[in-house]
Amino acid sequence: MSSADTGNAPARFTVGDRVRVKDLPNLFYTRTQMYVRGLTGTIAARTYVDLIPEDEAWNRDDAQGEQFYIVRFRQKDLWEGYPFHNDTLQSEFPDRWLEPVSE
Amino acid sequence: MSEQRGWPPAAANNPRVNLVPIPLLEAIRNDDKTWEKLAPHYGVTNPDPPWKVSLYATCECLAVGEALPLLERRRAEDRLGQTLYRGTPAPEQQLLALAHIMLSRGLLNEEELARRMNIVRSRLDTS
Amino acid sequence: MRQSHEHDGSHEHPAAPMVDEITDFEVLEIAVRELAIEKGLFTAEDHRRFTEWAEQIGPAAGSRLVAKAWTDPAFKARLLADATAACREVDVDWSEPTGSGTASDYMNLRVLEDTPTLHHVIVCTLCSCYPRPLLGHSPYWYRSPNYRRRLIRWPRQVLMEFGLNLPPEVEVRVEDSNQKCRFIVLPVRPAGTENWTEEQLAEIITRDCVIGVALPRPDRKADDVLPVHKARRPVRSEHD
Repeated sequence: MSSADTGNAPARFTVGDRVRVKDLPNLFYTRTQMYVRGLTGTIAARTYVDLIPEDEAWNRDDAQGEQFYIVRFRQKDLWEGYPFHNDTLQSEFPDRWLEPVSE
Repeated sequence: MSEQRGWPPAAANNPRVNLVPIPLLEAIRNDDKTWEKLAPHYGVTNPDPPWKVSLYATCECLAVGEALPLLERRRAEDRLGQTLYRGTPAPEQQLLALAHIMLSRGLLNEEELARRMNIVRSRLDTS
Repeated sequence: MRQSHEHDGSHEHPAAPMVDEITDFEVLEIAVRELAIEKGLFTAEDHRRFTEWAEQIGPAAGSRLVAKAWTDPAFKARLLADATAACREVDVDWSEPTGSGTASDYMNLRVLEDTPTLHHVIVCTLCSCYPRPLLGHSPYWYRSPNYRRRLIRWPRQVLMEFGLNLPPEVEVRVEDSNQKCRFIVLPVRPAGTENWTEEQLAEIITRDCVIGVALPRPDRKADDVLPVHKARRPVRSEHD
């Protein structure tokens, strides 16, 4: 995780925005699951501002906190052949793990 | 069934936990004096051994003090629970896994742990 | 050593049964803890404080919280606005025992409100995070890789194993609590409980209802004890 990667503002997204989960290089303390990488969902809530797990694990006091969000996905988008049209899944991500999607 | 991307849900970048059996812990496991077996024999209905809460507190303290972060311990616990300590009931499985992880990471060594167990056992035997 | 309780008078209290042998597990737990303290990994005081905290948490507070939300609309509004703060009204303080919470519960509770067409269920695929201040210690099945892997992928099949079968038009929403938020489900109040007191309602709001693997029912006051389920479809270990 490059410390030069600070191009993101602390809180880029609002509820309702469509976002894609990035597939950043993994670090041991990453809490962004493999099963959502590269997938698109909708911001369901803004939760809190905090250090990302990677920075917190390495005690990086110079790291800036960023906004965390709950993102909602359609299960049909997560799993091929998922048979129930209405089902969803939510999980939580810090700002830097998300990118905007225009649809 | 074909593998689907991201399935099963993998924790990213798992370092391998050391799966070499540790003789001291293997002996304890094989002796199999688990609460699940002993409690009914004595007519005790409490589903948990009295040391369970203390074990939880130890795990918590190790995480707070950063000697053993939560995610690292849980991943190792998962791995050990499916391999070396498979079939051992919780919380004995969690206890064995914790001891195993601490030994693997050099937080403790097997000789001092065995020695301390002997001291503790004689202390409890005479009380 | 067996303790015997001698009483004057007519009542005879049999000695409470105890496991009357010292197991290697009991000895191992103590040995690990003592060595850890001696090596400065943590202090005896910290351990004592966490032990006391861990001993007093349990699911009753979660049941009371939901019952209160069902019967008191103003409380429900406060709960939905700031769940962590609202917990203090059922004597749960998420800042305990350190003043800033624990290393796995934090202080960011969120309530997932069910409706007749939306059913929530909670999991933590990474490590089994759980709202311990409100519900106590997580059940073993919640921590198992079996549950954690399968719920996100086949939620309805897993719910069926718990005896919960939802119609296809109901949205099943899985919440994977992978960061610092902790979640509870606020189930729909079942029919047949009109005019019930908060206490009566709390009795049917079991831990499994607040996780989302069961629905509260007027005739059910305890969670079912599950047999151990082997995964029908063996999955490759996530650690390979």
